[in-house]
Amino acid sequence: MLKIESLSKSYDKGKSFALRDVSFQLGEGDVFAIVGESGSGKTTLIRLIAGLETPDTGTIEINEKLVSSIKKNVAAEKRNIGFVFQEYALFPHLKLEENILYGISKLKNKKQRAKEVLELVGLSEMKDRYPHQLSGGQQQRVALARALAPNPSLLILDEPFSNLDAMLRAQLRNEIFRIIKQSGVTAIFVTHDTQDALAVADEILILQNGKLVQKDAAANLYTKPSSVYVASLFGNTIQLSKELQSAFECPLKTDCCHAIRNENIAINDECDYVTNATVLKKTFLGSGTQLLIKLDNGEHLTVVTKHTHIDERITIGFNSKDVLEFKE
Amino acid sequence: MKQAGSSDIFSIKNKLFRLKRDSNRWSIITLCVVFLIALPVLTIAFKLFNGPGESWTHIVKNLLGDYVSNSFYLLVVCSFLVFVFGVTTAWLVARYEFPFRKQLEWLLILPLAIPSYIVAYAYAGVFDYGGSLEVIQRFFGMEFTRVDVMNRFGLAFVLSISLFPYVYVSTRAFFLNQANNLLEASRMLGVGEIRTFFKLILPLARPAIVAGLILVLMEVLNDYGAAQYFGVNTFTTGIFRSWFSLEEPETAIYLSALLLLLVFSIILFEKWQRRKMQYSSGKTNNQSIYRKITNKRKQFLIFCIVITPVLFGFFIPVAQLIYWAVLTYSSVFHYEFLLLSVQTFSIAFITAAVTVILATLLIFSSRWNRIGFIKNLSKLGVLGYAIPGAVVAIGIMIPTLAIDRWLMDLIEKISGQSFGFIIHGTLFALVYAYAVRFLAVAYNPIESTTLKVSNAIPDASKTLGVGNFKTFFKIEYPLIKTGMLSAFILVFVDVLKELPLTLILKPFQVNTLAVKAFEYASDERVMEAAIPSLFIIFTAAIPVVFLNKLLVSK
Repeated sequence: MLKIESLSKSYDKGKSFALRDVSFQLGEGDVFAIVGESGSGKTTLIRLIAGLETPDTGTIEINEKLVSSIKKNVAAEKRNIGFVFQEYALFPHLKLEENILYGISKLKNKKQRAKEVLELVGLSEMKDRYPHQLSGGQQQRVALARALAPNPSLLILDEPFSNLDAMLRAQLRNEIFRIIKQSGVTAIFVTHDTQDALAVADEILILQNGKLVQKDAAANLYTKPSSVYVASLFGNTIQLSKELQSAFECPLKTDCCHAIRNENIAINDECDYVTNATVLKKTFLGSGTQLLIKLDNGEHLTVVTKHTHIDERITIGFNSKDVLEFKE
Repeated sequence: MKQAGSSDIFSIKNKLFRLKRDSNRWSIITLCVVFLIALPVLTIAFKLFNGPGESWTHIVKNLLGDYVSNSFYLLVVCSFLVFVFGVTTAWLVARYEFPFRKQLEWLLILPLAIPSYIVAYAYAGVFDYGGSLEVIQRFFGMEFTRVDVMNRFGLAFVLSISLFPYVYVSTRAFFLNQANNLLEASRMLGVGEIRTFFKLILPLARPAIVAGLILVLMEVLNDYGAAQYFGVNTFTTGIFRSWFSLEEPETAIYLSALLLLLVFSIILFEKWQRRKMQYSSGKTNNQSIYRKITNKRKQFLIFCIVITPVLFGFFIPVAQLIYWAVLTYSSVFHYEFLLLSVQTFSIAFITAAVTVILATLLIFSSRWNRIGFIKNLSKLGVLGYAIPGAVVAIGIMIPTLAIDRWLMDLIEKISGQSFGFIIHGTLFALVYAYAVRFLAVAYNPIESTTLKVSNAIPDASKTLGVGNFKTFFKIEYPLIKTGMLSAFILVFVDVLKELPLTLILKPFQVNTLAVKAFEYASDERVMEAAIPSLFIIFTAAIPVVFLNKLLVSK
């Protein structure tokens, strides 16, 4: 449904690239997450898809129709893409219902449609309020309803949860994606929070410095990250350097890079590879304890453990199935 | 490999493809508006190639030295005087608590409501033989001591006292918002008040002071009425003389070009000094200044210092004018005067509407255009305010005359009948010239309200399937209309006050209050100029107060 080929965008005439040679395809009906740090190009990517920016090179096709290329640009208002902005961008001088009617003024049964989407987001009784009379979570749901009202072929959400506090976040996240699934629309959302992405996305795209580094299902990203960077996005990892490999006596391929996730490190437990170590320093973190460890061959390591009673001398190890392998 | 890729993307062929893709009608509209605004300057630049008129050598030999020395004298003396008036009052008002401080804070802006040529008429009346000063002195049984103000120092004083509020406003804003933490930090280091002011506050306030000063200097160079009345030869009076008395447009163009050169070097100087001022504190401090309460005697002294420029810049001239108005109202105030007022307000109204529309069009068309360099070009549109009115007028008169001649020939060829001027000498040319000169006056308030609306709002409208034009009327217009209204009022007032441009371009049968006042003054009937002047002043005073409210709420 969405096909992107070698898309690039630079804001400074080629000195640096916000987006560099990105290609991918998305299928119908799923929820996709675009994950990256700030400056990774994720906002540029969705603005290009929506037609709010024009690419320097590359093509975008929506439903097999070319909408962006170096020679052609279909205007944002003609793309039929729903967009939920980070700061919601509700029209402050219009009531809720008017906000929603705005995009469907040409529809015959527009009042009926507005009622439907307001019911979908559970705000029917507030239709005569102004945006500033709503809470942040409510504004977000209105923005979603407004974007869904014209039945867009694609829905884009820009950092949908970044303006909400942690308590509200998880609740609203599930609520929003229940609504999206219910409406059956293909959705792309942008986030810097991998937890959000893992929780709701069918497939995740990872951007780093304007390049697409991996596109995979959530479970695969976690177990088979394509690079150290991707692995580190989903939790702390420990790189298995040559010295560490020899300490644990684990023979690994030499033309690859390896790492192990912190949570897969076992302390005082049976494992495939084990070594002895001395605890130098313990820092209580609340949910666990951070240990600074010196392996017997002199290597230093930092790990977090749930164990509460740690002696000075411990054994530390991991299983071979948990070793992450990257081609670098 | 990476290098090869980027050079390919930015090859000339691909750039052209993108240029074609990104150009839309808004790019063309932006270019058209910028061209319209730039036309007067371009005209003068091109006309320079035709060579100067016959009197040019005479002017260079006998008069140019006078123009240059007087203009520089005015620039220097006015800079000094407005610095003293503006910075002193701004500091005292911002730093100290004293009686009537709140009232004086906005009274200090009121001199802006009086055009400087009207201040000039009033002061000529105060100091003349049989003038108000003599009447007062004789009343108290004193010997009359005549002070001659009809010279270049008098002119510099008149211009400074009516223009210093520009410096006062920009400097006070800096003191109110930025000075508090500087003062506190300095006090913690044990430095006294006066030393802190001169060593710390004043150097840091320099960009704010210079910003106000530049506006003053532009107005000084723009002035025609006051200089002409006081008999001081400046570039503007020179332009008028070569155009009207010598009837040598070529010479007027050469003088205009020299004046433009002076204006642009002042602007470049300002840009340069601002670049040097990179250390001006970047983060705005919302903590307003803590006002000092001193003893009663000092408070009275401060009050006297602060009220002095208000007296000289507003109350004394207005009192003189009211006195004259009482003497002359029976001869001035009749049906024709009402007609004149209606004419003036209609012209101001039409001009304000046209200028606001043009400024809005420029702001939004440059946004909707997707080509970067056209966006940058659109910022040139605001330079019109720096160009003296007389220069704008001449720069517009030449092309409109040319177009009219061409149109007249054309019509005569087609219909066999001859027609009068269509653009030249009509309201159309006058309103166009006003729009060029006052575009910046409308542009700035509209742009600043536009910037308060998040970009995501119009973007949201577009993703909901609504185009640029409709988005403007449904979403942006309701959100920025207060900015458009203040732009309208500001242009309206500036048109009322404008003199040199109006004198050159006004249609024969049309008159404005400003021109009428000028005509009375030039006909040795300066007393009769009082009523049209007071009309201008009181209309202009309303938005001056309103503008202050706007600035304070910021």
